Amino acid sequence: MKAVYMENVRFAYDKDAWVLNGVDFTAEYGKITLLSGMSGDGKSTLLSIICGIIPNMTPGTLEGKTYVAGKDVREMKTSEISRQVGCVLQNAELQIVQAIVEDEVAFGCENLAMPQEMIEKRVKAACAMMEIDPSLKTRTLSGGQKQRLITAATLAMGQKIIILDEPLANLDKEGTHTLMTALRRLTDRGYCVIVTEHRLDMVLPYVDEVWNISKGKVKKVEDKQAYLISRAEIITDSCKPPQNPSELLRITGVKKAFAKREILKGIDLTVYRGERLLILGQNGCGKTTLSRIIARLERADEGKIEQFIDKKLGTRRASRRWFKEVGVVYQNPNYQLFMPTVRKEIEFGAESKEYADEIIDMFDLHSLETRHPQSLSEGQKRRVSIAAVAASRPKLLLLDEPTVGQDYAGLQRLVDVLGKIHVRDNNTMITVTHDLRPARALCDRAVLIEGGKVAKEGGKELVDQYFLS
Amino acid sequence: MTDRFHAKNPVYPLFGFFAAILIFAAGLATAKHTDGLWYLLAVWLWFLLFGYWRSCLVIIPFAAVFSGIFAGITYASSGELPATLAAVSRCVAVCLAVLPGLSLPAVKLTRNLSQLHVPRAVTLGMMIVLSFAPLLGREIKRIREAMRTRGAGSLLNPKVFYRALLVPFAARLVNISDTLSLSVETRGFCTGKAAYTVYHPVKLTVRDVLFLLGITAGSVAIIVWCFI
Repeated sequence: MKAVYMENVRFAYDKDAWVLNGVDFTAEYGKITLLSGMSGDGKSTLLSIICGIIPNMTPGTLEGKTYVAGKDVREMKTSEISRQVGCVLQNAELQIVQAIVEDEVAFGCENLAMPQEMIEKRVKAACAMMEIDPSLKTRTLSGGQKQRLITAATLAMGQKIIILDEPLANLDKEGTHTLMTALRRLTDRGYCVIVTEHRLDMVLPYVDEVWNISKGKVKKVEDKQAYLISRAEIITDSCKPPQNPSELLRITGVKKAFAKREILKGIDLTVYRGERLLILGQNGCGKTTLSRIIARLERADEGKIEQFIDKKLGTRRASRRWFKEVGVVYQNPNYQLFMPTVRKEIEFGAESKEYADEIIDMFDLHSLETRHPQSLSEGQKRRVSIAAVAASRPKLLLLDEPTVGQDYAGLQRLVDVLGKIHVRDNNTMITVTHDLRPARALCDRAVLIEGGKVAKEGGKELVDQYFLS
Repeated sequence: MTDRFHAKNPVYPLFGFFAAILIFAAGLATAKHTDGLWYLLAVWLWFLLFGYWRSCLVIIPFAAVFSGIFAGITYASSGELPATLAAVSRCVAVCLAVLPGLSLPAVKLTRNLSQLHVPRAVTLGMMIVLSFAPLLGREIKRIREAMRTRGAGSLLNPKVFYRALLVPFAARLVNISDTLSLSVETRGFCTGKAAYTVYHPVKLTVRDVLFLLGITAGSVAIIVWCFI
C-alpha cells in the first residue's frame, strides 16, 4: 500500500532552476525506502515536499502531484502533515528546545494532544528504543546522543510515515544498528520509513527499496548489491606509516567530567610524529572531548599532556603560535569560515599566495574561488574549511568527523587530498570518525576508547575489528 | 536561563512572577528608608527557606558588584550616604526580583502558560527565547574558539576580528532560527486552535500559596511601616 506517491513533481527554489524535474516516486507501508544520491542532488528537497516544509515554509515553484497517506500535501499545513508524517531533520543539535531528554521526547506528543499516561509510555518506549537515558540534561549530550534524542522524539509521536534525513551522520556503529533495528521493527508493524543517507554500507542491509536521485530525476535501483559496491567501497590507503617515529604528544592520566558525568577516566596515550592516528569509540565516549583537550580548547580536570612539537609552545596556553602548529578542523565547518571569498579564506592562513594556489588546486576549489564560503553547500564548506586549515601547514592536524555530509565521490577526493598533504608536509593527523569507508585510509594506528579509557590500540586490523565485527 | 541556577522545587511559576513584581515594587518604594534593607534581607532568607539556596548564593557576588558600581557612582556624584544606601537597596531589589525567574526551568513556565491557555504563539515565543539564550551563549563561545584556531582572535586586527566573529554568528543565527522553527512545526506545534496536552502539569500547592503570602505580607508590612 502506497504511503507516499509523487507523480511528475518539479520544484525550483528560483525561477526555472529545477532541482527536481519530473520525479515519480513511491514509498510503501511496511518497507524501509532509501533515497540515495550525490550532495546537492535534491534528496532533502524531495523530503521537504513530503513533509510539507515545501512550499508551506520554504517558498519556490512546485508542480506535479504529491500524496501523503492518501491526501494531497498542497491542501495541508505543515502542522497537519506532521500528524501523518514524523520528520527527523538534519542538525539534531539545533532542534532541541527542552533542557531534559524526557521533556524533549514528550514535546511532540503534547502537541498531538496525547493523554498524560500515553505520553509517559511513549517517552519510555522511545527512549528505550534509542537507548537514551530520559533523565539526562540535553546540553550535556554528545553529537550522536543528540541525534538519538531527536529520533526518539519523532518516534514517540507515533506517525505511520517516518522520514529521516541523514540520520546516521553522527551515529557510531552501535547507534546505527540500534536505529536501523528500531526502524525495521516499525516497518514490520506496518510503518513506512524513508531514509536519505550517504553511508550506504551501514543502511543497505536494512532497507527494502533503494531509489537513486540524480540530475533532478529519481529512479528505482534493482540491484542493491551492485549499487552498494559502486558507491560504498572501502577507500584504500595510499600512504605508508612512519618508520621509528619519535613522540609528538604524551598524554597521561587525562580525566574530564561534564555536569558530574565523568567522560574521560584516565586516558594514557602517546601520539607519534608523522603518524595518522584514528580515534574510535561509541557516541558519548569522549572522542571529541579528548581531541578538544589535545587542541587546548578544553582543560582536563586531571592529568597532563606533554608536547614535543616545540618547547616554546609550553604545556597549557592555546596561543596564536600554538594554532599555527596545530590545525583544528571542526565538526561543523560554519564556525571556521569568515572571509568574503573562498580564495581569501585559503590565503588567510597560507604562508604565501603560491601555496594558497597549490591548496586550491589540490582541493579542486577553482570553480568556487570567488564564492562566499557561507553560500556553499555543506559538503563544499567542509572541503573549504579543511583546505583553509591545511593551508597554514600545521604540524599536527586534528580532524573531527571530517566526512559528515560527504557523498562517495566527495569522500574519495577528500581522503586522497588529506593523504597527499600528509605525505608532503609529513604532518601528524588525528582523526575522529564513525565512517567505515575512509577509516582505513586515514589510519596508521587506531585507538578505541571505552569506559573513558583507551581500551585497545592497534593498526588497521583494529579498524576492521571495530567496524566489521 | 541556564540550568545551573534552577531550584529543585521552584514555586508555581505565576506566583513566582507575582512575587518578583512585589519585591521589585516594594524594594524600589522603600529604597530611601534604611528599614528597606531589612526587608530585602528577609526576602532573601525567605527564598532560602523555600529551597532557592543555589540561586541565592549565586546572586550574592553579582549583587555585590552591581550595587557596588551604582553605589560608587551615586556617592561620587552626591557625596551623601543615604542616597548611596538607596542605590544599594534598588540594585539588591532588582537582583532579588530576578531570582524566581533565574531559578525556574523554562519547561515549567511554558507548561504553566499552556495550562492557563495562554495563546500558543506566546508559549512558543517564550520557549524559543528561553532555549535560545543559552544556545546563543554556547554559539558565541564556539565561534570565539574557532576564531582562535584560525588565528583570527587578535584585537590588533579588528577588521578580521569582527569579520571572524560576526560572519559565522550571523550565518549561525539564520541557520538556528530556520532549523528551530522547522523542527517545532514538524513536531506538531501549531499556533491555531488545535488541541494539546501538558505532560507534567504544574500543580499549585499549599507551599506556593504560603510563599506568595509571605512575600505579600512582607511587602505590604514594609510599605506600611515606612510610609504610614
